[in-house]
Formats: sequence, structure tokens, C-alpha cells
Amino acid sequence: MTKEKKRVGVYICHCGGNISDVVDVEAVRAYIEKLDGVAVARKNMFMCSSDGQKMIEQDLKDGLIDSVVVASCTPKLHQGTFRGALSRAGQNIYLLEQSNIREQVSWTHTHDHAAATNKAKQLVAAAAAKAEMLEPLEPIKVKTVPCGIVIGGGIAGLRAVRDLSKWGMNVVLVEKSPFLGGRTAQLDHVFPTKEKARDLLDKLIKEVIADPKVTIYLNSQVIDGGGSLGDFFVKIEQTFRGCTEKYDLKELEDAIKDLPKDIKNEFDYGLSYRKSIWMPYEGCWPSIPAVDWENFQPEDADKVNGSGFEFQPNKEIIEVRGGSIILATGFDPYQPAQGEYGYGTIPEVITLPQLVRLMADDGPSNGRLEINEHPVRSVAFIHCVGSRQVEGINNPQPDGKVNNYCSRACCTATLQAANELKERYPDLHVFDLYQDIRTYGHGHEEYYQQASKNQILFLRYDPLNPATVRPSNGRETAVSITVKDLLTQGEEMELGVDLVVLSVGMMPRNIEQIIDIFKLPQGADRFLQEVHPKLRPVELAVEGIMLAGTCQGPMDITEATAAASAAAAKSMNILSQEYVYLNPYIARVDEDLCTGTGLCIEECSEVNAIRLENGKAVINKTICNGCGMCVAVCPNDAINIQGWTIPQYKNMVSKMLIPAQELA
Amino acid sequence: MESNFDALIIGAGISGMQTANDLADQGLKVLVVEKEPSIGGAMILLSKVFPTLDCASCITTPKMSAVKNHDNITIMTLSHIKSFKREGMLFKVVIHKEPRYVDEVACTGCGKCEYACPVLRSDPFDFNLGVTKAIHLPFKNAIPLAAVLDMDYCIQCGACTRVCPVPDCINYLDEPEDIQITVRTAIQCTGFDLTPMNAKAEYHAEDLENVISPMQMERLLAPHGPYGGILRPSDGNLADSIAFIQCAGSRDETLGIPYCSRVCCMYAIKQAMLLSGILPLADITIYYMDIRTFGKGHDQFYQNAKAMGINFIKAKVAQINAAENGNIKLRIEEIGQNGGLREVEHDLCVLSLGMVPKNTGNNPLHLAIGEDGFVASINPKTSPTLTSESGVFVAGTASGPKDIVDSIIEGSAAAMQASAYLQNLNISEVVQ
Amino acid sequence: MTKVESSYTPNILLLSTIDCAYPGADWAGQMHMDHYVQAFNLRVPSPAMFPEEFYFYCFEQGFDGILIMSCGAECPYPGAYDRLAKRVDHLYKMMKERNLETDRLRLTAICTVCAQAYVKEIEDMAGNLKTLPPIKKALGDIPQGVN
Ligand SMILES: Cc1cc2nc3c(=O)[nH]c(=O)nc-3n(C[C@H](O)[C@H](O)[C@H](O)COP(=O)(O)OP(=O)(O)OC[C@H]3O[C@@H](n4cnc5c(N)ncnc54)[C@H](O)[C@@H]3O)c2cc1C
Ligand SMILES: Cc1cc2nc3c(=O)[nH]c(=O)nc-3n(C[C@H](O)[C@H](O)[C@H](O)COP(=O)(O)OP(=O)(O)OC[C@H]3O[C@@H](n4cnc5c(N)ncnc54)[C@H](O)[C@@H]3O)c2cc1C
Ligand code: SF4
Ligand code: SF4
Repeated sequence: MTKEKKRVGVYICHCGGNISDVVDVEAVRAYIEKLDGVAVARKNMFMCSSDGQKMIEQDLKDGLIDSVVVASCTPKLHQGTFRGALSRAGQNIYLLEQSNIREQVSWTHTHDHAAATNKAKQLVAAAAAKAEMLEPLEPIKVKTVPCGIVIGGGIAGLRAVRDLSKWGMNVVLVEKSPFLGGRTAQLDHVFPTKEKARDLLDKLIKEVIADPKVTIYLNSQVIDGGGSLGDFFVKIEQTFRGCTEKYDLKELEDAIKDLPKDIKNEFDYGLSYRKSIWMPYEGCWPSIPAVDWENFQPEDADKVNGSGFEFQPNKEIIEVRGGSIILATGFDPYQPAQGEYGYGTIPEVITLPQLVRLMADDGPSNGRLEINEHPVRSVAFIHCVGSRQVEGINNPQPDGKVNNYCSRACCTATLQAANELKERYPDLHVFDLYQDIRTYGHGHEEYYQQASKNQILFLRYDPLNPATVRPSNGRETAVSITVKDLLTQGEEMELGVDLVVLSVGMMPRNIEQIIDIFKLPQGADRFLQEVHPKLRPVELAVEGIMLAGTCQGPMDITEATAAASAAAAKSMNILSQEYVYLNPYIARVDEDLCTGTGLCIEECSEVNAIRLENGKAVINKTICNGCGMCVAVCPNDAINIQGWTIPQYKNMVSKMLIPAQELA
Repeated sequence: MESNFDALIIGAGISGMQTANDLADQGLKVLVVEKEPSIGGAMILLSKVFPTLDCASCITTPKMSAVKNHDNITIMTLSHIKSFKREGMLFKVVIHKEPRYVDEVACTGCGKCEYACPVLRSDPFDFNLGVTKAIHLPFKNAIPLAAVLDMDYCIQCGACTRVCPVPDCINYLDEPEDIQITVRTAIQCTGFDLTPMNAKAEYHAEDLENVISPMQMERLLAPHGPYGGILRPSDGNLADSIAFIQCAGSRDETLGIPYCSRVCCMYAIKQAMLLSGILPLADITIYYMDIRTFGKGHDQFYQNAKAMGINFIKAKVAQINAAENGNIKLRIEEIGQNGGLREVEHDLCVLSLGMVPKNTGNNPLHLAIGEDGFVASINPKTSPTLTSESGVFVAGTASGPKDIVDSIIEGSAAAMQASAYLQNLNISEVVQ
Repeated sequence: MTKVESSYTPNILLLSTIDCAYPGADWAGQMHMDHYVQAFNLRVPSPAMFPEEFYFYCFEQGFDGILIMSCGAECPYPGAYDRLAKRVDHLYKMMKERNLETDRLRLTAICTVCAQAYVKEIEDMAGNLKTLPPIKKALGDIPQGVN
């Protein structure tokens, strides 16, 4: 360990007034310049500009300084920028310390310029104290495993798999269900192109399965995982699908005709029933039936006539390794609470995904619009069910929060369905109860215009006073809706309809297990939370793990596939390189001080990164996460976290509280 | 300069910069061609960005620096594509570079020339709200940080050359140049324009000084904006009753712009929130048809704005006329409880203009264009960045209205499609 | 020791985690939430790294109070928060032994968007410290050889 102190260069930013309007930058500079160890102190309008960076580079190149303090905005913003400046000047990038005098000074002490200036002096002095003790560090080099792992085989996951494999990269796809395609397979045709959803899927799936670079695990769950950027492992538990041969739907029907058809079919959102051996639709991939082990009764085995079935729910554990992980676990439609707008209590109240299934040619009623065995003459759509909820008005979810976000695809999906109903059944009366119509996307507004042309009647409801839905009890129509219409004079209207369709929003699928394994951050809306909502929209805070599609938030297919390609690009940035570099902020043992007490090893029991070799503690560099629990317990002060050492902290603390007379 | 690149990126807004960075990170050699004197696009002009309210220049500059400092990226500014032809697996490209009249490499960006120049002219960076000189730095954190001389205003008095510390840096005789290069793939990221202010004649925006564009409002709100505050252009008074008019140039079939521009609801709410922070007593009203805050965290942003006391009125604005003292009279048709036609007065008014394709005719790569005038995707649902020309991709607002996040996502997505395309090009064919 | 309402401006050391509390503090900045000035952030990976002795060192250097702004349950390091909580208990014991008011040390959890909570913690601690004598005086009251 070099104990020699570094010569420090301090650079203070005006941030175009953001800082200098409150902090007297020149006073800070003049004060810092006089401190021991500070070789130069300069200021600039924008330290992050090329000009500002050049100042640092020049001083380093001129040999005036060894380490750098930049006093500007939060290090989150420009650490990379300033490290780049050090690196271009040939200096080790870890000889940088930042002092946050914008977010934590000028923006929080706006009304007391003198106090803010003093605080800036104190913080910058502390940063300089750390900088004089910084040491060059080398990132830990990890050989990348040239393989991408994609979790979830909906349209987003498939897009990501295809992009990686087309590049020539190996890919492992892990899908929980026995079939590929996710929720897109449940759609009929898609806005705004009117393509068949399954055509979109088929094309992608064909390309994916034809590529020898792709390995697919269906019926599989992630049960464990670990590693880090460049070298992750994922443990998969795959359940045997129960069927070994390829069947088409017709053959399958024959083989299982004696099985009871009594299981609610989730593919039709419970509107139809299926058997315990099943395929969701004709042409699904793979077109091999799967046994639904949860509902499969032992005696069912005897009722199956075909060969090629094996009724053992065997599980196999597979471990795969990859340099990056893409999560594409998708969404669930919001499930209305029992009684919410009559859902679950009035049979004529259904959700939009259910209606989409009902209207599909291969849907539960073969495309005929029939509810509760009644023909439908009038229908009302209610928007924003389970979205844009208001605290105090809507009942909270089990976690106590309401869904206060917009699900963005439902407005267009609703109008698409409404128009189609109207076009199929011109005599149908269609009402649309909404807050705002959000047909924002390319080609979406057309549905809204078409809806007006189709004489769909719009009513605008107040989210603070939503509609109520009751059975009509003996009237001509099945359901009666009361709503205050804000488009007119706020009159209370009473609508009698035969069918109510709730335009439900999106919720993330339950992936608690994966969240636990990889310690993934979730937002207040429970969707996975990207690391920076503006600048790094498809990356998670856990480096090397990317997000694709609706596990991140509501999206339509276009948006989900764009995000998937972006996630694939971010993966390729890792996978295309032979090595990745991990941050070196890990424990280091000073062998001269270590007496081999073993206390650190005990402390590190959860992570297990320390072992004793020849009476000295030795750190496993790729496992150590730099938490520093070992540091606190070493009686000899022999362990420190590189870059964050206790002596550095002490030096900072000792320089922070400058006596008032010196500050003045 | 090199004449062979793997990828050509046209336009260096946020989408172009993202595409460039991702391709370069994968080890590909990238040329970025930008027609303005600095990279950065529209984003560098903004005040703060929704929904995080990050300072726009703070989060754009790192991207700009990354592009500039990347070993695999070459930037050409003041340049556009003159011709673009496929030859086998390659594209032969001629780039036209306009003269800067300043040596871009030698210039230190000190700004002495700008101080010395006697010619004042309106500042395009501030949408003509402020003034600059005939020779000037494009803006404080421009990349490249080099002065640019506008010959239309220059009187060739020599004041700048006398003060410039770098010998021969300023050259009045600089000439345009055509540069030939070959590339293997190209990505069009040419961005958007706003609907023209005068698109709706009944708004009389050209005659009313206190009816401004949203980009002008962004500049007024920026920390180092032209007036250092929110003042009315007509008389420099503080504004205290401000109106935003939504869908002014979107969702309007009479203008041939039937689509929604996606960002104007959010930027208006953002501007309203920033205004109410700066002018706590001001009365701020947003006149809208539908509030479309559909993005992640956006509806919550809208709710916050309502809680802050910003007025939202569902109304169509039929006409805008002059009132006394430079004030503005709106003729509105309100929908709902207080419904009906009435007139309201404000002292400053922002037209929430929509997004249209960058000046029509700007189709350097001859790509198929959709009905809306934007570059069309041939596979909008599952590969939105593919265009009618194989090997050419599109990202960002060049293919339709988008916010920054969506533009960044598409930038990365286009990079992925382009690099996968390159991997599949037959290398031997490329060589001949 | 008598508690006196005094007008001095106590110094507070904030040990803020890089993953949670420090971004929370930044958020407070982005929202321009004015608050008590003499509170100084140190960015730390996990406060579990600091031995007991470090806290007393900070008191001796003149910090009247220390706020540990941890990630709480969101702590990304397995086991670290539990260890930290135990250490703080131990510290309270040690402080009592040395006649130091335990109000001078507080363990909290601040998330990346907890701007409000962040500001409140600082204001509360500043308020509490003002009812105590300055640390230098408090330390002067007790025998030498604290650490
Ligand atoms: C009623 C309705 C109509 C719509 N209509 C349209 C339309 O017309 N046009 C349009 O563009 N969009 C439409 N959408 C939106 C569209 O459905 C979604 O954008 C799209 O399905 C999202 O795809 P995804 O891949 O993100 O998620 P999903 O389709 O949900 O796929 C996720 C996949 O991950 C798997 N998975 C989940 N958890 C795990 C796990 N732990 N391990 C492994 N695998 C897992 C799932 O089984 C599934 O296969 C509509 C949505 C609704 C609700
Ligand atoms: C008033 C306003 C406020 C906004 N506020 C926000 C906000 O707060 N948050 C948010 O997310 N979004 C906001 N947006 C949207 C945001 O500005 C855009 O999403 C984003 O800037 C689009 O980036 P881009 O790269 O697609 O296009 P641009 O930024 O337009 O970049 C295109 C680039 O290409 C160049 N170019 C064009 N043609 C050529 C050519 N032929 N040759 C060479 N170069 C060419 C242009 O000079 C330009 O530099 C706002 C928009 C407006 C109008
Ligand atoms: S898209 Fe429309 S229906 Fe869906 S939540 Fe948003 S506003 Fe409501
Ligand atoms: S985003 Fe809002 S203002 Fe802009 S066109 Fe769409 S609805 Fe109108």
C-alpha cells in the first residue's frame, strides 16, 4: 500500500448558475486552494463540458496533480464523464472523488447563500481529504460467457432471443408455461396494423426454433441464480410435459376424449373449460400437448387412448450460464375485485381480454357474441378499470396501494373492440365510459375517429365519482349503469345494457422468486424499475440484467418489441466483448496486519467470500460484494474496502468541520 | 479522415447519439453526420425533462461527451447527405459539409470572437428570443465546442480575427466540401419539427407577440435562458396568467395532421409545473381535449400538477385574438358543467404544437414514407426500426412522435438490428 | 447533565448508503427542498463497515450527532442490515457507559425517493441536538480515554 499522499486538483462547477447562483464559487475555490495537499483549484461554467474536462486532462498531463476532486452535481450523473477525462489523460480512473454541491447544497439551501457557501467549502475540503488518500485500482476482469439468457417467451422475449441469435450469439430461453407466445397469442388481430397476432408470433417463433444457437426450456421455472455481469448462472427446474409425441389438435381430441372437461381454461380467461391434457389453440408452438399436473388426477391416466404419454411429473434441474440476462416476464390483466362494477356477481359483466377471446374466431363461442345465453343488443365499455385509480375512491390492492398509473394499451384496444362490434352488428348500441381517450400511438387516433363515425356514444365520467353497475332486475336489459356524464351538463344518466365490458389495465406478473434471487428493484407500481427512467430505460440497477416488454410497465406490442431489441443491444454490448470489467470496490487484506483470527470469515457467512490460507484471510474477488461487514470486526484493522477505506473516511471527517473563523 | 465506416448515422439528437454509442460499444466504426453546428438535437434545448424533472442539459451532455470521446465514433457537423447509393453490399455516400469559417479542431471555444463581433442578430438556439453575434459559440456546452460564423450576417470587419488567440483559426474564405465515404449500414435519426406556428390561421400566432411556441417556453424556463426569467416577449413584464393550448397542430384533420403527437400533454404539464414554481402567484390554465399522460410515471405527474393548483379545462379553443395591453383573448368552447362558448383573457399563451417530420423533402436515404409523412416501418409491430431499404434503419422521432425514453429505446433497438444485419453480411462480397 | 435549550448550530454527520439514502438526498435536492444546513453526507456502500470506534472518532471530531441513513430492508448486501442494527444497539450501550446521550445517534432507513423522510430526519435530529449541549462540551464532561 502506498502511503504517499496524492497532489490533488480541485475543480468547481458553476453548472450554468445552478450552483453559482447560490454558492459563491470563487470563495470556495480561494479557500480550497490554500489547503494542504491541494495543488490546484479551478472553476468552470460547466465542468462536464469538453472544455471543463480538458482542464482536468491538461493539469494531469502537465504533471501538476495526481488525483482529482470535481465539485459539481451528484456523482450519479457525471462520474463516467469525469473518469473519462482521467483516463484520457492516462491516469487511473479511481483517482477521482466527487463533491455534490448542487443537489445537496445549492438546491437545498437556496435561501442562505452564506451558509450554503460554507457548507460547500466543508464538503469540498472533505473530498480533497479523501482524494489525497486515493489509490489507483484495477477493475476485476471477468471472461464473458458468450450466451444470453432470456426469461419469458412472450412477444418481447421472442424478439430479444431472435435479435441475439441473428447476431450469432448463443441464447437460452426460459419459459414458464408449456407453450411460447405469452399474452399476444390470446389476441385476435392487433391494432393498428390489423395483422393476426398469431401471424406475428408464428413468424418470430419459426425463426427462433430454426436457429441452432437457441436452446428453449419450456415448462420451466427459475429456482436459483447468481453471478455477476459477464458471468451469471441460472438454475432452472423443468417439469416434464407428459407427452413425447407431436399431435395436432384433432388427434389430441381423440386421445383424450374420455377425460372430463372441467378445468377453467385460462387461455380464454375462464370463459371456457378444458381438460387436464391440453393445447391452447391450433398451431400453437410446440403443437405437443402438455399435462396440467396440478389438475391431473391419477385416474385420468387410464382414460387416455393415445400412445406417447408418460404420466410422471418428473422434474429436472438444469444450470445454464450466460453473460447477460433479459427479463421478459410480461403482464397479467388486472383482475377486478369481486363485485367491482358488478364483476363476478353479474354474469353480464366481463373484462376486455375476455371480450377479445369471445370475439376471436376460435374463441369460446366461435366468434358469436353471446353472454349468459342471451344475444347482446347493447354494450357499455368502462375504461380505466384497475388503472388510474384514486386513493380513497378505489379499493387498494393487497399491498395497500392503488394502481395510479395508466395502462396505455387499453384505450386503443377498447376502441378497436368497440368498432369491430359495431361493424359486425350494426344495430348494436355501444356506449363508452371514459376519462380521457388515450389513442396516442401511430395509427391509434384513427380508431377514435372511426368510433365517432360508428356512432359509438361517449360519456365522460369523473374518477372521483365513478359509474355504478347493478343488475336491472326484470327490465329489458340485463344490467343498468348509473353515471354522471361530464360531456354534457353533468347529468346523471341511467343506461340499460346487455353487456358491460371492463377495460382492465395491466399488472406485472408475479415473479417474486426471481426478484428475490437477483435482488431486483421494483417501482411503486410494482413493475420492475429501470436504473434511470430517461437515460437507461432497459437496464436494471443490477448490472448485466436487462428489461424487455411489459414486465417493466404497460406497453403495446410495438413498444414491447422495441424495448426487447434495445435490451438485446445492451446485452450485445456485453456479450460481444471477450471480457467485462467489474468494479474493484471489494475487500482487501493487509497481510502485514492480518493475524488470521478468522472473525471476518464468520462475518461473511452469507456471501462466503473469505477463506483462510496459510494463516491469512484471502478474498474471493468475483464473489465479494464489498459490503464491508468484515471491516468492522477485524481487531487488527487489517481489512478495508478498496476505494472506501476507514482511514479515508476518518481523514474526511477530520477535515470537514472547519472552525468558523477559517471559513470566513 | 477515414473513408470506410461500418455504420452511418444521420442526425445526432438523442436517438442518433444512442444508436452511435451502442454500435460503437460493440466495436463497430461509426460516422455521425449532423447538419447543425453541434450535436445534441432538440433535447439539449429543453429546460427540464418530464417526468423526472432532471435538468435537460445535465443529462444530455454526458451522452454528447460519450459520443465525442468514443474511439469508434467520428462526428461531422454542419453536414448533410448529398447522395446515397447502394453498391453491392455497400452504400456509397457523398456528404456535403458547409463551411464553418472556423477551424473546428484548433478553436478553443474561448468565445473572444463572439465578444468582439459588432453584429448582433437573433439567436437561433433560443428560438430567436435572445440575441447572439454573427460569429458565436452554438451554445455553452456545444460539441464540438467551436465557434461558427454565419456569413449571412458577417460584415467581414476583421474584429474576430484580431482577437482570436489561435493563428489562422478564423477563415472568411472557407469553402463547402463534398466528401465521399462508404458504409455498410445506415440509420436515419433526423428527428422532428414542430407544427408551424401559423398552421391554424384562426390563432393569429404570427401577429400576437405573446403567443409563443413551446420551444420558446422551454428556453424561457432553461436555467441560462435568454431573459433569465419568464417575461412576456412584448413588454418584458412578468406573466401572471398563462394559457396552454393543447393539440394546437395535432389531432386536426383540417391540417392534415390527424395523429396525436404524444409529448405535448406532458411537456405542457411539465412547463406549467415549472412555471408555478417560478411564479407561485401566476394563474396557469391548460385547455385540452384529452389529457394523454400514458407513459411510465406520467399519470402520477399529471395528478401532481392538479394538486399543485394548475387548472385543467376541457375545451376547444376556436380563436385567439389580441386584447388590450398585449394580452390575449381566447374564444373557447368548454365541454361540461360550465359548457358553452365564452371568452377568456390571459397575458401569455403557449401553443402546444405537435410534431411533424423534419422539413418535408428531408429524405436523404430515399426511404418509403408513411401517410403521415414520417419514415415508414415495414414491420411496425415486431421490428419497428426496419425501413423499406434493407440495411437501412430508422430511430427516434424520424419515424413518428415520441418522447426521449421512447427515442432512446428505438436508438438502441436500431443499433441491435443494424449490428445483427452486419453480422449476416457476406464479408467476401463486401471486400470486392 | 442538565438538558438546556441552546442556540448553537449542531453538526450532523450523515452516513448515507450509495444505493438508497444518497439518491434519496439527491431527490430532495431535485425537488429543491430547503432544509437544515449543517448536515453532511458521507457516501458509503454499507454503514455495516464502520466499527464502533469510528463513531466515537466522529464525535470527537466535533459531530454533535450521527444519522445512519441505511437502506433498511432494501439493503442489497445480505446480512448487512442486521449486523448494523446490532452494532447500533451495542453503540447505545457504550454511549450510556460514557455518559453520552443516545439521541446523538440514530439508525434510519431512507429509500431512493424518500426525500420527505430524509429532510424530516435531519430536521428532527437538529431539533433534538439543540436540546443537548454541544458535543465538545459533552465529551469534556467525561473522563479521558474514550476510545
Ligand atoms: C385486451 C388487450 C388487447 C390488446 N391488444 C393489443 C393490440 O391490438 N395491439 C398491440 O400492440 N398490443 C395489444 N395489447 C398489448 C399486448 O398484449 C402486450 O403488449 C404484449 O402481449 C406484451 O408482451 P410481453 O412479451 O411483454 O408479455 P407477455 O405476453 O405477458 O409474455 C410474458 C411471457 O413470460 C412468461 N413468464 C412469466 N413469468 C415467468 C417466469 N417466472 N419464468 C419464465 N417465464 C415467465 C409468460 O408465461 C409469458 O409467456 C393488448 C393487451 C390487452 C390486455
Ligand atoms: C417543447 C418540447 C418539450 C419537450 N419536452 C420533453 C420532455 O420533457 N421529456 C421528454 O421525454 N421529451 C420531451 N420532448 C420530446 C423530445 O424533444 C424528443 O423526443 C426528442 O428530442 C427526439 O429526439 P430525436 O433524436 O428523435 O430527434 P431530434 O432531437 O430532432 O434530433 C434530430 C437531429 O437530426 C439532425 N438532422 C435532421 N435532418 C438532418 C439531415 N438531413 N442531415 C443531418 N442531420 C439532420 C437535426 O439537426 C437534429 O440534431 C419535448 C418536445 C418538445 C417539442
Ligand atoms: S389507456 Fe385509456 S383506459 Fe387504459 S388506463 Fe389509460 S386512459 Fe384508462
Ligand atoms: S399529446 Fe395531448 S396535446 Fe399532444 S396531440 Fe396528443 S392529446 Fe393533443
